[in-house]
Amino acid sequence: MRRWGIILMLLAACVMPSTQAMGAAPQVIVCIQCHAAQPARLSDPVTLWQTSIHAEHGITCNACHGGDPMDAANSMDPARGYRGVPAPTSVPALCGGCHMGVTKHYMNSAHGRALGRGGPTCVTCHGSHDITRASLELISKKNCTTCHTFDKALMIRRAMVKTDGMLKAIEKRITILKSQGIDTDPLEKKLFSLRNRFHAMYHSLDVTLIREESAHIQAELEKTSGAGGAGTGYLVGVIAVGWALLAALLFSMIKKNID
Amino acid sequence: MDDSKRKFINICLGGVAALAATAIAAVTYPLFRYYLVPPTDKKSGGKTSIPLNEIALGDAKFFEFNGVAAVLVRKQDGTLAALSAVCPHLGCIVQWEKDRQDFLCPCHAGYFTADGAVISGPPPRALAKIPYSLANGVVTIG
Amino acid sequence: MEFLRNIYNWIDVRLGTHEIITEKRTGYLLPRNVNAWYSLGSVLLVIFCLQIITGMLLMLYYVPDIDKAFDSVSFIMTEIPLGRLVRLFHAVGSSMMLLVLLLHMFSILFMGSYKSPRELHWLTGFFLLLLAMGISLTGYLLPWNQLSFWATTVATDCASSIPFIGENLVELLRGGKQVGLHTLGRFYTLHVGLLPALIAVLIGVHLFLIQRTGVSTPPFGLEDTSNQWKGESFVYEEHPGGIPFFPNFFLQDMISISLYLACFMVFVFFFPNIFIPSTSYVPANPLVTPSHIKPEWYFLANYQTLKLFPSEIIGLTVQAIAMAFLALLPFIDRGEEKHPLKRPLFTFCAVSGILLWIGMTVWGLYS
Repeated sequence: MRRWGIILMLLAACVMPSTQAMGAAPQVIVCIQCHAAQPARLSDPVTLWQTSIHAEHGITCNACHGGDPMDAANSMDPARGYRGVPAPTSVPALCGGCHMGVTKHYMNSAHGRALGRGGPTCVTCHGSHDITRASLELISKKNCTTCHTFDKALMIRRAMVKTDGMLKAIEKRITILKSQGIDTDPLEKKLFSLRNRFHAMYHSLDVTLIREESAHIQAELEKTSGAGGAGTGYLVGVIAVGWALLAALLFSMIKKNID
Repeated sequence: MDDSKRKFINICLGGVAALAATAIAAVTYPLFRYYLVPPTDKKSGGKTSIPLNEIALGDAKFFEFNGVAAVLVRKQDGTLAALSAVCPHLGCIVQWEKDRQDFLCPCHAGYFTADGAVISGPPPRALAKIPYSLANGVVTIG
Repeated sequence: MEFLRNIYNWIDVRLGTHEIITEKRTGYLLPRNVNAWYSLGSVLLVIFCLQIITGMLLMLYYVPDIDKAFDSVSFIMTEIPLGRLVRLFHAVGSSMMLLVLLLHMFSILFMGSYKSPRELHWLTGFFLLLLAMGISLTGYLLPWNQLSFWATTVATDCASSIPFIGENLVELLRGGKQVGLHTLGRFYTLHVGLLPALIAVLIGVHLFLIQRTGVSTPPFGLEDTSNQWKGESFVYEEHPGGIPFFPNFFLQDMISISLYLACFMVFVFFFPNIFIPSTSYVPANPLVTPSHIKPEWYFLANYQTLKLFPSEIIGLTVQAIAMAFLALLPFIDRGEEKHPLKRPLFTFCAVSGILLWIGMTVWGLYS
């Protein structure tokens, strides 16, 4: 069995296009080298993962499944921490290893208290391999009504819309400021922490808390959106260009009279 | 060349001179500021904090304060003094002499007390005092 | 006023300055049909001076260290009064310098001014173009952002395809296996030391050559547009009854310079992001290659040519041949006719060459 695995892996390595020699392109881990070339059931997670926010941030298979991504022969050895498919009840703790704030709120919520008794885990709403950046669209009739009515979910969603819009607008603004060479680092850090607080807090499912916190966060965001205003470059530019054109005009008038 | 033409050219030349003058004026001052001012660190608000336990009794700690060398002395009796470390004679940086509990300027042998007063040598006046405050074991200078 | 005149007299009796002004300026006559294209040289001189001034201002605060370079540029851009403008003037100015250089070259090309006895003018000009590209390339790395880091990696990597010495050459250029601290040191030295000095010297030579041979006659509005120089002996090309340099053509220079400054400042104040894309505000990261890394516009044609050929060495050879052809043009094209319409084959080739270059640039931009 193991021999087959190695042959398959070698084949996969030949088929895979060689990574660009230029620069230090990250080495493809063995999980992907092997799984990408296997039948759908075993290769689908790779294709799905490649589109995920985790892939974008370099969070690879072993972050959740354990094992050794550098050693093909022993990659799936439990001794190397390989845990395979996590049990549903252990999912919140697993995700919570990185997403701590969210897990705390989730565990105290109706969702978390129903863990192991048919309650949703993280992957129920967010998916597992194809995880994308969380957005309001996740709170949808389709998702929520698989277990309960949409009424309360809709209330929560409405309470979040304004803050979400503000977050997006500020993000856009930061990209613009960045493209003008303005140092947005502190702004970005603050936005990140506010967005984090906002997303974590949602998982409490407590409408009053969400409304209160949203108001706080909105107030903070108001402050942020005022920062880093555009300079007076426009007016100075008009004056400077006008000055040069006027100079050209004067010189050409003198020239015309001398010629 | 007739007179009206000459007059017109002179007016234009005047315009050119005016433009040149405005350009020089508009560029010189900002360039001067560009050259002159590396903005001071805004975050600390021109203040420096030193935990008291960093300095042993009878010792002194040198640091930079608003871009100039400064020193904080913790005298044997436990009292503090925050001083400019720049000798008022020719601008050398004074040294703390722990055994004699005084400052020596190595350039022309000017001596100062731990409080900055001149003992001997060419310095025309005492080392400048810097205001400080002590709270919770941390000395805030400035 | 009297005081100033006394100073002037004091200098004049010692150095004969009045003679320089009258004979060399007012007495310095240009062809009657001289056109505005002849003022591009002066525009370039102004651009070069502006680059030197803004470059020195940037050097006040720039730190050539991989940990500090990016921050020092950000510091200039955001904290120093006027810093943003100085930096934009320098960065946009480099692009404009190459643009005007190309225009200058094209005008010389179509007016046949490179023809004998002006082969050396063309050659020095060609080397000035190469040096300008070199100084732009080396300067591009200095802000140490993602774009500059990877563009430099790709650019220096091209040398590796040269047989036998390629690998060593790349190491020599980079001062190591990869672009790093020593690359920055090398490029900084080239950018602020060697290359500006070489350019200044070559500009001097270029101007000296023009002074020695006299200004060429443009081929427009004349009956006989053939080359008058027959190659027997040294002749200073005089233009009796021509237009005096001072004040007439000097005013043309000033008009062109003012118009150039207007265009330049439109870019600096309103469209700086054409020349400084947003990826250049991300600090260099040697472990992450951004997608779609592209060189500056003046290297896009070279970049696209390299991509077209199956192997880099062929691509490089083709470019080297094209460049050598351009450099040796006055030695290859020995025809006497200077008017572009009276030498259709040349004009056709030149126009197609320029269109090809523009096409490759646009293709490189959108590929």
